[in-house]
Amino acid sequence: MRRYMAEHVVPTGRIRRKQPLREVPEITHSVSEKAGQTLTGWRFNLLGVLFLLAGVMVIIQLIRLQFSPERSEFVLQGEQYSRTLHIFYPPRGDIYDRWGRLLAGSTLVYEVGVQVGNVENPDSIAFALSKVLVSHPEYNYAGYSDDIFAVIHQAQISGTAYVQLADFVTPEELTQLQDWARNYANLPNVDYGEAGRPSLDGLVYRLRLERYYPENELGANVLGFVNREGTGMFGVESEFNDLLAGAPQSVWMTLNPYQVTEIPQLKAGADIILTIDREIQAAAEDVLDKGLEDSGADGGVLLVMDPNTGEMLAIASTPRLNPNEYWNYASVFTDNTPYNRAVSQDYEPGSVFKILTMASALDNGTVTPDTQFVDTGSIQIGGITIHNWDWGAWGPQDMQGCMAHSLNVCLTWVASQLGAGPFYQYMQSFGFGRTTGIDLAGEAPGRLKLPGDTDWFEAELGTNSFGQGIAVTPIQMVMAISSVANAKGEMMMPHVMRSMVRDGVQYTPTPQIVGQPISAETARHLTDLLANSLEGESSDALVEGYRVAGKTGTAEIATPTGYTSDETNASFAGWGPVGNPRFLVYVWLEKPTSSPWGSVVAAPVFHDMVERLVVLMDIPPDGVLQGLVNH
Amino acid sequence: MIGVILLFLVCAAIVAGIYLNVTARAAAVGRQIQEMQVRVYGYHYLTGDTGETYVPIEELEQRIANLSSQLAYITSYSIMQERVKDLNLTPIDADHIDYMEVPGYVERQTTSLAPPPVPVVVTASTIAPEFKESLFDWVADQVRKTARLFSEAQP
Repeated sequence: MRRYMAEHVVPTGRIRRKQPLREVPEITHSVSEKAGQTLTGWRFNLLGVLFLLAGVMVIIQLIRLQFSPERSEFVLQGEQYSRTLHIFYPPRGDIYDRWGRLLAGSTLVYEVGVQVGNVENPDSIAFALSKVLVSHPEYNYAGYSDDIFAVIHQAQISGTAYVQLADFVTPEELTQLQDWARNYANLPNVDYGEAGRPSLDGLVYRLRLERYYPENELGANVLGFVNREGTGMFGVESEFNDLLAGAPQSVWMTLNPYQVTEIPQLKAGADIILTIDREIQAAAEDVLDKGLEDSGADGGVLLVMDPNTGEMLAIASTPRLNPNEYWNYASVFTDNTPYNRAVSQDYEPGSVFKILTMASALDNGTVTPDTQFVDTGSIQIGGITIHNWDWGAWGPQDMQGCMAHSLNVCLTWVASQLGAGPFYQYMQSFGFGRTTGIDLAGEAPGRLKLPGDTDWFEAELGTNSFGQGIAVTPIQMVMAISSVANAKGEMMMPHVMRSMVRDGVQYTPTPQIVGQPISAETARHLTDLLANSLEGESSDALVEGYRVAGKTGTAEIATPTGYTSDETNASFAGWGPVGNPRFLVYVWLEKPTSSPWGSVVAAPVFHDMVERLVVLMDIPPDGVLQGLVNH
Repeated sequence: MIGVILLFLVCAAIVAGIYLNVTARAAAVGRQIQEMQVRVYGYHYLTGDTGETYVPIEELEQRIANLSSQLAYITSYSIMQERVKDLNLTPIDADHIDYMEVPGYVERQTTSLAPPPVPVVVTASTIAPEFKESLFDWVADQVRKTARLFSEAQP
């Protein structure tokens, strides 16, 4: 019992004895187990070393890359993922007429595409686009739907993020697409079979501006158009493309929200105010079209200029293209027809050129209005014989008679009296053989053969005196005649830009005087002479109540077999009112069929134009004006 | 010692919290700005964006340009001619116009869309007389000034 207690009860007051250690059986490992343990430790060490080496290699590679020649390339690649390049195009400047009426503006269009990752049903997208974009010739073809499907499918395979499917989509068409998308989104969730649930998910759009011409064909030959790439073609759009378009800016937009930067403020393209008057332009086109219809001419030009400033009030030319549908260019301008005949097509002007021959001779003092010439019906010059238009002899004539009857023989004699040297000096002073510098694209220089040129012969002096054998553009004729029409002898540079508005400031250049080929006195005398000539001949060009001066022109057209009288260029150049010139009108009808004569087909066109001009320009009749002045 | 460490840890936690708060807000604002920018140059979903009240200036300018063109179209020559026809109006002939004298009448001026450039005034520095007068001029000037001084000093 004591023994029992001694084992289980610790008596109080006594130090507890240390418990004897329990005997633990010794664990013994076999030889193979010891070898495994050693192996495991070796493997761990090896792994550790390998990881260490890998880490060191990574570090070495990182350091190496920092100093490698390809570093910049890698940096660039990295940056490509951290930012995206955006090109911001400023809105194209507007074009106005002289009174501020918009001739060329901008309208909203949309680019439509798919974010490929969000596309649920390519079939629906292809079907919707093919149905909505039927008015676009480039998208309206059999198989367009299949092409769209194929493009999306290809993009899905290649992992492309975005694909553009259509451009120049109108707001109405976009609204239709939005309606389709909403209708599809509201479809019930049922099983749609193999075709899948219709959906336009993934279809996205982006809005931008497109050039728009609210007047359609009106003034189209002056304005030109802007093509699909946004580049101005022909006319003002081409000539001032850099000004109108502004400067696009390329900006890298970061994807890092901490580095977000402001979108640059774009410098919009400059606005341009033209010298063109919309109402006069419309009247000119109307009158020209009627003239073409009445005469059966192939084409024509009608120009209206303010001879005091060189401002072009109207430039009408045929054919005309609706610049909103510029893709019809090839079908409208066939057979190398220039976009604007007034500046780009040269021709032999015929007797209307006699104005300048007579101006040169009067200014040089070779003849006076009273100089007498006996017309025998023919004259020899340079080995050829020149005849009058009617092959007749008109007997004694003064210079007014020569101009009134448009006598080739008389003008050949005048030119021969003047001499080739002075004659061609005057012609160069009038600006022939070079461009006028009008601010319209595609101006042709014409051709003025000069003594000394291999293809110039003495006979040219005779033929040039009445406007044959010389190639001029209508705008060259207008510039040259402006020196006579403004009664100052100053030749004004024709121009269509009146002002430019840029950065909130309107710049208006002053009219440029190209030169003074003749004196003011000569200009006044010649104007009087030509006004009397028209009155004496009771010309169809005369306008009741207004004294106008002018000259008709009929030129034979050169063919590979020589000149033919069957086809002519009919012209008329006139200006008025003689007392206070406000307008210069130039008419050219190409190959009229009703009559070959300028006096028959071109003079009435001038008359019709002036009748409308005096109303549009608030020009009172001479009598009324004189009465007001006297009052 | 433990207290100091804890204090340090608490301070570090506060600083880290403030830093996180500020950077998170900066990131959120940056994302908002990016979303706004996407509205300007990015793409829009067909069924989205309709309820958005925010319209960027660029888009407004595009809409204004569009409206200006529409206005120009409905006042274009051909449309106005149709309206003239509908109203049974005819163009007036030159011989049906009565002209009268209006004192002070100002002729119609061509359009002005913006003010003309302000003339640049070149302020040339004036050269002080000391640099251009001769000795004789200087003496004469001094005599004049002295004489003026005496004349002003007299009662």
